[in-house]
Amino acid sequence: MSAVIEARGVGRVFSHDGAELRAVDDVSFTVGEGEFVSIVGPSGCGKSTLLMMIAGLEPVSAGECLIDGEPLRAPQPRKIGMVFQDATLLPWQTAAENVEFPLSLSGENREARRSRVAALLKLVGLDAFSGHFPHQLSGGMKQRVAIARGLVRDPRILLMDEPFAALDEQHRMKMGEELLRIWTETRKSVVFVTHSLNEAIYLSDVVYVMRAQPGRIVERITIELPRPRRFEMLGSEYVGRVRNRIWELISMEVT
Amino acid sequence: MRSLAAQLICAAVLAALWETASRLKIVDPSLLPPFSVVCATLWSMLWDAQILYEVWVTGVEVMVAFLIAAPLALLCGFFLGEKPRWGEVFNPIIEFILAVPQSVFLPLFMLALGTGYTQKIVFGVTHAFFVIAVNTVAAVRTVPHPYVLLARASGASRGQIYRRIYFPAMLPLVLTGLRLGMIFNVTGILLAEMFSSRHGLGRLIFSWAESFQITRLLAGILLVTLLTIAFNEVMRAWEVRVSRGQSAGIAA
Repeated sequence: MSAVIEARGVGRVFSHDGAELRAVDDVSFTVGEGEFVSIVGPSGCGKSTLLMMIAGLEPVSAGECLIDGEPLRAPQPRKIGMVFQDATLLPWQTAAENVEFPLSLSGENREARRSRVAALLKLVGLDAFSGHFPHQLSGGMKQRVAIARGLVRDPRILLMDEPFAALDEQHRMKMGEELLRIWTETRKSVVFVTHSLNEAIYLSDVVYVMRAQPGRIVERITIELPRPRRFEMLGSEYVGRVRNRIWELISMEVT
Repeated sequence: MRSLAAQLICAAVLAALWETASRLKIVDPSLLPPFSVVCATLWSMLWDAQILYEVWVTGVEVMVAFLIAAPLALLCGFFLGEKPRWGEVFNPIIEFILAVPQSVFLPLFMLALGTGYTQKIVFGVTHAFFVIAVNTVAAVRTVPHPYVLLARASGASRGQIYRRIYFPAMLPLVLTGLRLGMIFNVTGILLAEMFSSRHGLGRLIFSWAESFQITRLLAGILLVTLLTIAFNEVMRAWEVRVSRGQSAGIAA
């Protein structure tokens, strides 16, 4: 597995009224081709900031991010698809127009755009809702639209920032299952930020655990569960051990 | 649809009350002529070349003032919303001026600019400018940051971010500003006409009052009322259309 994403000593410092806050400090990790990686940690540990830096949306204060071995200087819409918290659909556009949004910016021809959008709405199971506006869709449906939009330019990388945080537990697990199905079909490299341990373990090949002040990665945990994953696996002794280990790492700093 | 029917019934009841109160002389008919008589007068006024000319004069003033005030206020509002450093200084000033009843400045305007078109148009412009600018500042400020991030991640240029994100996100509040600006603008111009002009609908209405032509006075008021309500409703329908699913906008 070659590294699609590589972070080398990445850091981000915010200065506020003279005080310096090290939101992310000396973070290094790699994501391989087709790998599903999660970043877990308590709120405020800098995991979203880290993701924004990998996306090229937030400048780095130290170190560098490499995408396909090339230093990242600006957003890479062709290589990186993003799925934001709370879906972030444009309310004045229909589901189909939202999915089409990244394509419409690059002036691709209309026919190709339409068929691409239709294929992706089908992939996420929303082909019957293409003409609906975001406020007419449920939370889960909005996130499916957001995922379709993230995939519309067929990027190799999908970055997801707590995409299911606004959903209740039941829908969250359902969307996780749905995401794994889509991932199996498209084989993207995924970086998934969450604060749900179950979600991270259920979805990922590798989980990075972060802690705050300064925000840093404290452990890399390989999830040795066979695929396809099933919900029952979350009840296994192995998963219990992993969950406890992550919990230990995270809660150590709270005390 | 249902509430529209109820509203029409309310209007009809009011008209009927007016009509009967006047016909049965519960109210002095010389002060409040029957509704039907006022309507008939209004109808005949619509065919009176002299009156139409005065309406035309006011209409042109209103349009010119709006065409000056709106682009200026939109530009200033956008600039002050986008440049927080400038906004910090000038936004409070604009809010202060918006809070002052501008009618107190009318005598000053008359002294400085006379009683012609210029004075009326300037008075309309100053009435409209501030409310449009304040709403535009608010519109820029309420563009959700995640939308901008999404656009950048999708490879949008600066121009595309303005066109594809700012414009539609700002539109509901901007339309509210333009609608209120137009109402303020009309108020300013009618006021200026009443007290400092020889021409226009405001002057006409005022002179009917001075010469105690109550029926014509009421017909004139009814005309202004109907025109402004029609404008307001068209603009509001537009606002509702562009703001579906968006939380901002739609208050006044």
